[in-house]
Amino acid sequence: MGGLLELDGLTRRFGDLTALDGLSFSVPAGQVVGFLGPNGAGKTTTMRAIFGLTDLDAGTVRWNGAPVGQSERRSFGYMPEERGLYPGMLVGEQLQYLGRLHGMSASDAEVATKTWLERLGVADRADSKVEALSHGNQQRVQLAAALIHGPELLVLDEPLAGLDPTGIDAIGEVLVEQARAGCCVLFSSHQLDQVEDLCEAVTIIDHGRLVVTGSVDDLAARGPRRLVVRVEGDRDASWARGIAGVTVSEIDGGEARLVLDESVDSESVLRAAMGAGRITEFVFERRRLSEVFREALA
Amino acid sequence: MSGGIILAIVAVFVVLRVWLRRRGRSGQPRTRSGLGPFTGDVSLVAAREVRERIRGRVFRVGTLLILVVVAGAIVIPVLNRGTPRPQQIGLVGALSASLRADVVASGASVGTSVHFVSEADVAIAREALRSGRLDLAIVGGRQLMVNNPIGATDTSTTAQLVRAASKTLGVAEAVEAAKLSSAQASQLARAKPLPVTSLQPGAAKGAARATSLVGLILIFVMLTQYNAWILIGVMEEKSSRVVEVLLATVRPFQLLAGKVLGIGLVAFGQAALIVAFAIGLAKAVGSDLLQGTAPLVLASTLVWLVLGYAFYCWVYAAAGSMAERQDQIQSLAFPLSLPIIFSYVVSITAAASGGSSPLFEVLAYLPPTAPLAMPVLVGLGKATWWGFSASAVLSILSTLLVARLATNIYRRAILRTGRRVKLREVFVRVAG
Repeated sequence: MGGLLELDGLTRRFGDLTALDGLSFSVPAGQVVGFLGPNGAGKTTTMRAIFGLTDLDAGTVRWNGAPVGQSERRSFGYMPEERGLYPGMLVGEQLQYLGRLHGMSASDAEVATKTWLERLGVADRADSKVEALSHGNQQRVQLAAALIHGPELLVLDEPLAGLDPTGIDAIGEVLVEQARAGCCVLFSSHQLDQVEDLCEAVTIIDHGRLVVTGSVDDLAARGPRRLVVRVEGDRDASWARGIAGVTVSEIDGGEARLVLDESVDSESVLRAAMGAGRITEFVFERRRLSEVFREALA
Repeated sequence: MSGGIILAIVAVFVVLRVWLRRRGRSGQPRTRSGLGPFTGDVSLVAAREVRERIRGRVFRVGTLLILVVVAGAIVIPVLNRGTPRPQQIGLVGALSASLRADVVASGASVGTSVHFVSEADVAIAREALRSGRLDLAIVGGRQLMVNNPIGATDTSTTAQLVRAASKTLGVAEAVEAAKLSSAQASQLARAKPLPVTSLQPGAAKGAARATSLVGLILIFVMLTQYNAWILIGVMEEKSSRVVEVLLATVRPFQLLAGKVLGIGLVAFGQAALIVAFAIGLAKAVGSDLLQGTAPLVLASTLVWLVLGYAFYCWVYAAAGSMAERQDQIQSLAFPLSLPIIFSYVVSITAAASGGSSPLFEVLAYLPPTAPLAMPVLVGLGKATWWGFSASAVLSILSTLLVARLATNIYRRAILRTGRRVKLREVFVRVAG
């Protein structure tokens, strides 16, 4: 397994509204890629476009360099935002049916159904109707429906929404495992902390346009350096205020957050702090993804 | 004429089969195995549809109820006809053996058996007539007594028997009074009514008409029922959003074709079961439902059930894709059902009255109304083989057009959620 999904210049207009405005980015195999953006940014439209569920006014979706058609889509797995299973159909039969629609043989579909229901902890519900399941379990079955045929690309629209911590862990674990096995995983979410925990890379869009894309580490490390310093007995970080290129952004109970210009050497800050008293904390702070997100959209 | 209609029926089946195969293949680019189109996505979707539908309790109980009603409709008339109560005839005084035989023959001529009861005197016989124990009393072989006067238009078995017996006994008395030789008397006794030839076939035509009436009701019930299944089935796939998961892997046409094929198979299977059951039962109990051209009418009913379903299923599927709630469906279902209801009313009037009108004959050739009107036209013996074929071909051609249009509407509308999709919105895109 291993492939590359490329979105190239996707444009989609609904009347006067431009949902996608020349959006381009790619999703490599082996990584969990978080797909972020405010409400109405065009995330769902992008995901639908990958599956041909919305007509594009311009642009192409490519898989391993070739335009995506029905046969390629068969090897993709999709979990739409609003979910979607037959409420009155038995869980096991439903998964087998979806597996077969993805081109599996009846026996393979049966084995895969059993495997995934066990893996996601809902094996005992195979003979229940979907509507009889709790929200969390329905979500697990929905994920199983996207995974049943061993997809090369997994596209999940808000897979963690409405789940309890156990459910988030269970589904998150599966996503990471799939990526490690060589799958392309693209998922959207508004829960940025969870995205940060799960994803190696993120793509942020707004108004149908790409805002930023890259690895979480790179994005977190970008921008000015931040230091958190605590000096015993010091309450107002007055020692730092005299250093050129250093801004005190926040003081919280003696803990000073400093933003360093590129010209500033962190050792000079350390020396100044040592001069003020005994240092109890001196840490470079990574930017949280939520900060990256807010800054990107600012 | 009948040979032509059979040929036309065979032609319709062949065309339909080829068309379904072609559609099945064109919608399925993958070659998964060499087993033909029925291993493809369309058949997977159809198989799910069949499985889920026949599993439902409503379907099973409903089918059973229909069979019970059909059995009743066939068996009850036969029972009524087959075993009438023997007419009770009281005899006051003697009645010679030959006259008794004449009365029995009179009974047989009006389709009833008779039972003689000896009564001691006239008073007792009168009493027995009043109480209903006797239907008729014969006093001394010369007088017939009944309780109620018998009018000229009375067609009850007793009235018919009394008229026949009074005539027979009167003739017997006249023969006796004429003092004929025994040879002459026996010649008179052997007198048979002259055979009457009618220009129009009688009972058989009536049977064909009755069969077409039953067929018409079958088509109406089936179309209404299965169209509703399509409408609600498509709407539920939309409202449960499962359609988005399905359309991520199969094409809209494949999903739609599988659905209408699956529900169509269930519908046709149910209809075939009902018809086979009716034919088997009618044969077993000797019903006249299958006399003359009735089997032909039945066959054309099945053909038009298929053609009617094929035409309407697309229309209803397109409508279902525009709604996602029950209340949205109401406003869509009513206008769609109008041509069916209209042609049903016109056709049932024609079938019941036995005469067609120009309006009815036109309806037999219009694709939306032909499924109900044409089988009745066949039942009335007014369909020519070329007329039947032309109507069928017209229906198939318009079905192809409707299917194409419906698939486009479905594709545009099925993923638009929220408020009901307006036809204008999808047409703008279909045209564009």
